[in-house]
Amino acid sequence: MKQKTRQAAVARGVLAGGRKRVLVVLFVLSVERDGVTAIDQAHWVDAALETFGRVFGGATAYPKAKGVWRDDERGGALVKDEPVVVHCYTTPEDVQDAENLAALGGFCKRMGREAKQGEVGLVVGDEYFAFRQCDGE
Amino acid sequence: MKTRLDMDRIAKGLGAQRQGKVVAKGGYFGSLQLLADIRARFRVPAGGGRPTDRTWTERRLIPLAPRTLHQLEKLTARMREHGSVNLEPMQLAGLLLEKSAEKLNEKEAERLVSPKRASR
Repeated sequence: MKQKTRQAAVARGVLAGGRKRVLVVLFVLSVERDGVTAIDQAHWVDAALETFGRVFGGATAYPKAKGVWRDDERGGALVKDEPVVVHCYTTPEDVQDAENLAALGGFCKRMGREAKQGEVGLVVGDEYFAFRQCDGE
Repeated sequence: MKTRLDMDRIAKGLGAQRQGKVVAKGGYFGSLQLLADIRARFRVPAGGGRPTDRTWTERRLIPLAPRTLHQLEKLTARMREHGSVNLEPMQLAGLLLEKSAEKLNEKEAERLVSPKRASR
């Protein structure tokens, strides 16, 4: 009987882990909004992982991706950067919790302000959210 | 059963602006695909400011009634307040124009310019 109870508890635990089905993605860029000045990316990736760990229980930072884009507003200058993508799986309840959202939003704004970003991008589920004018707050 | 997320509530809680739908997939390749998608669709000018749709390359002067402009200003202000999107009134006008032009057929356009003749 005890065995059965333990098995049920294990099954519940496994299923509870399976409830974490909302993917939250944060992009940590490698340069400031001018597209040239490097930021302390390693620091911000660590800080992002810590925030996700504390708020949602864990996260994964993937190796740097390499990117380039043509800035037509600056005479077609090519801007190169190496963003790091941080993935975090959480539950619908946790991602809609006001305190969790305030903590995550606060972190994104701080990164935007201190790392002088034009925009900090965050994906929750299937929606892209942008933090802008971080220096104005 | 899939729980629907309240994206307006999430935007408000984060203090961020909703920008649009993306397909977010897990894993390394999913993350790279998502990154490329977002860059292509929501790129912000390097000097900051609002993201622009890169297919909007044409610029024209359009005469407007003051009340129309006022209505556009009111709508965009309300959208900003709700934290959903940060648009200029004329960006909204462009969007409405694009959507209406896609749906409008020849007869409807005729009725709009000369309502009396078209109703005969």
